[in-house]
Amino acid sequence: MNWGVVRAYMRKEILELLRSKMIIIVYILPTFIIILFGYGIRLEVTHARTLIIDHDQSKLSRDLTERFMHSRYFDARLFRGTEQEALHRIKQAKTEILLIIPQGFERRLLHGLRGEIAAFVDGAFPIRGETMSNYVKGEIFHAAQSVAPDLAPRITLDNRNLFNQAMRDEDAIVPGLFGLILLVAPAILSALLIVKEKEEGTIFNFYASPVRKSEFLLAKLTPAFLLHSLNILILFLWATWLFQVPFRGSFTLYWLASELYILISLGIGLLVSIVTRTQIVAIVLTVIITIIPGFLYSGMLMPISSMSGESVIEAHIYPVMYYNHIVYDAFLIGQGLDAPKIRLYLLILTLYAAAILALGSALMKKELR
Amino acid sequence: MSPAALRVEKVTVRYGNTVAIEEASLEADRGEIIGLIGADGAGKSSLLHAIAGVGRFQGEILFEGHAYHSPKEAEPLKPHIGLMPQGIGLVLYRNLTVGEHLDFFADIRNLKRNEAFLSYRERLLEMAGLAPFTDRPAGKLSGGMMQKLSLICTLLHRPKLLILDEPTTGVDPLSRLELWEILDNIRREEGTVALISTAYMQEAARMDRIHLFDSGRIIARGTAEALLAGVRNYSYEPVPCPSERCIQTGHYTYALDPIDAPKKEPTLEALFFVHALQEGRRIPPIEVSPRESDEAIPSLVMEARGLTKRFGSFVADDHIDMRLQSGEILGLLGANGAGKTTFIKMLLGLYPIDGGELTLLGRPIRSAEDRRHLKSRIGYVSQHFALYKDMTVRENLLYFAQMHRLPLTRALPRIQRLAEELGFAPYMEALPSELPLGINQRFSLAAAILHEPVVLFLDEPTSGVDAIARSQFWQLLQRLKEVWGIAILITTHYMSEAEYCDRVVLLKQGRKIADDTPQHLMARYPEAKSFEEAFLQLYKEKVI
Repeated sequence: MNWGVVRAYMRKEILELLRSKMIIIVYILPTFIIILFGYGIRLEVTHARTLIIDHDQSKLSRDLTERFMHSRYFDARLFRGTEQEALHRIKQAKTEILLIIPQGFERRLLHGLRGEIAAFVDGAFPIRGETMSNYVKGEIFHAAQSVAPDLAPRITLDNRNLFNQAMRDEDAIVPGLFGLILLVAPAILSALLIVKEKEEGTIFNFYASPVRKSEFLLAKLTPAFLLHSLNILILFLWATWLFQVPFRGSFTLYWLASELYILISLGIGLLVSIVTRTQIVAIVLTVIITIIPGFLYSGMLMPISSMSGESVIEAHIYPVMYYNHIVYDAFLIGQGLDAPKIRLYLLILTLYAAAILALGSALMKKELR
Repeated sequence: MSPAALRVEKVTVRYGNTVAIEEASLEADRGEIIGLIGADGAGKSSLLHAIAGVGRFQGEILFEGHAYHSPKEAEPLKPHIGLMPQGIGLVLYRNLTVGEHLDFFADIRNLKRNEAFLSYRERLLEMAGLAPFTDRPAGKLSGGMMQKLSLICTLLHRPKLLILDEPTTGVDPLSRLELWEILDNIRREEGTVALISTAYMQEAARMDRIHLFDSGRIIARGTAEALLAGVRNYSYEPVPCPSERCIQTGHYTYALDPIDAPKKEPTLEALFFVHALQEGRRIPPIEVSPRESDEAIPSLVMEARGLTKRFGSFVADDHIDMRLQSGEILGLLGANGAGKTTFIKMLLGLYPIDGGELTLLGRPIRSAEDRRHLKSRIGYVSQHFALYKDMTVRENLLYFAQMHRLPLTRALPRIQRLAEELGFAPYMEALPSELPLGINQRFSLAAAILHEPVVLFLDEPTSGVDAIARSQFWQLLQRLKEVWGIAILITTHYMSEAEYCDRVVLLKQGRKIADDTPQHLMARYPEAKSFEEAFLQLYKEKVI
């Protein structure tokens, strides 16, 4: 290893990154993704447009209605029209929830009978519909409990936990984005740094000179590594400052895991640069093989533990799951290295990085193809 | 006699199923310039890549006693090898300055910054005329300057084996001369073995030994004089061929059997023709039948006055005046970046005109509407042959016929006739990518003349095409001009092709520096032995 050669090559890379303005993309892209997805993905439902038809007009029914009107999850109002008219409004997508409290609702309960409230929920978007119907059940249960505690047991609900989500959406989504961003961005940069020389022909300077493969790779990957290391801090600041996500764990652990993860991403970029010749193909290929798993197996949309079959295997093949587990822990839980699972995942990331970089440098050849 | 410094033995390079170069052997001594001449795809680059240790090959290469059979085995020699691959400014980083390039190339070669190095660096900069431009980014240099910078970057570590792949292609004549002077100096001082490929036959005179390449093989080798001596007996003044084993080109007739015609001093191009004849290839003369349409052709086809095109602060074409008459082949000559393509694109309406007046076929052009009526009367062949790669030759031609609203009953026989006359009938069901460059070129021309235009614009159609195909192409244009009576405007960076034109316009950095018949131009420079030299004189005189 000749450090003078590595330094000269690195100096050239940095100059080119600065003068070609590519440096802007290095720092815009991660921020762009975290803001776009951080605000863009919403799993909880607020301000669901709700109509209530109260045929009972009792104290209980009025209290119940009051509760819905004061909840931030619903924009509720009493409806004076017929049920048909109200249902028609759901079809027109002007209303999402319709509640009908039947005549004699309070009286039936007081007589020890079962009281039934009809709830119609717009199921056009299944996940949203499911969430809304859970909210409705929860709201009714809560209302009943506070308005008439002795009557509450007669209203049975089996899934009340779903409503009482203590977790904010930001807390659930934003840390999950780290595994996506730090998989995509460094991979694109490292693939581009190499493929650009292949496409433009300057790669001949490497092929035809005594520069060694290890020197070339070190000179290409080090700037990408260092530049993206700063993104670890930038993302952390966006999460804690802009999205107000708590940070309960060890920053050192978060930083260490992120650096390892960046190395893995650089390795993916290196592999892409071996099989591609043009920058545009390199970008498309990198985006496809990083964004999809980075999103699917982030644990944002679906916990890995609830996956089954092939998807579990796939989730374990990609590095995203291991990294995200550590990040979620660092932000929300804070167990850190005390947890054996975190220690294991950190080890897996280390081996992953070493393996992918070794594979990349073994497959890269110092000759024309 | 000491053994040769470089010995290449039976080197074969394959890409998949295609053989790029087959069993090529050559030798070179210290201080020698070895020339590789041939068309694109003849195998020059593949052989040079093999010798430079950047591409895989079969066979053996020996340099200064070290044998290698693969890029890996060539690795210990890399400190002594310098490679400048094909393509203008290919190895340069457009954002780095001239000075930064020299630093970078010195650093990756691990050169010590001692007194000797610094003075050598200064000398190279002086020789290349780049000393005043050390702070200029490579992207802002002219093509000629880029090539000179690439060359001195390649020379910086004083290689013992210098490999240059078409360093002069597309470069202006003056820069070409300067490049050769740098080379001549260095090889004499340093005793460098230099392997240089070129597309220009005229540069052969500067080489100690020449190797002629044709479809993956070396077909002839020796000094220029010896090679010429070998074909002198077969070269005659252009007369019609009396027998088989004979071929007539624009300015020569080559015949293997003696014919009754005055002899003419051949150029190296003769070797390709004679070789083809000796191999038994028959190259029939090209005939073109008259056009079907009897549309009258105006005598003044195109007139440009003060035509100007700017890209930001850069003036690509600066007040160009030009006239094109029917029945005339007008050659638009100039180096890469001189403004030839930009000019043609303005004529076609592909670039908006920034200044000046243009009249096409008697109609002043001010708006896109003015051009709409002219489309059916103009034919255009672009630099990169705008053909559809996934359609066969026949499908492509049918598509172009339909684009010009030619009824099928007329299009089908016309396509068949053109295919036979232009000599690509056997390739009708092939994809363009499977065709040799010369066939592609003729089939592109067929697509451009299918609708029988009255004016034809051709943008560098002969670039990279082999000597025989090139000569046939010019013959074809000649016939089109004579039989159809149309006007042809053609651009080229081969100055020697001026001889095929009725009139030439020479561009230099966006300005017109000559507009005359080739004969008059030659007469102005009686000491010039070729068009090359005449243009060089012109280039030197007209300083911009």
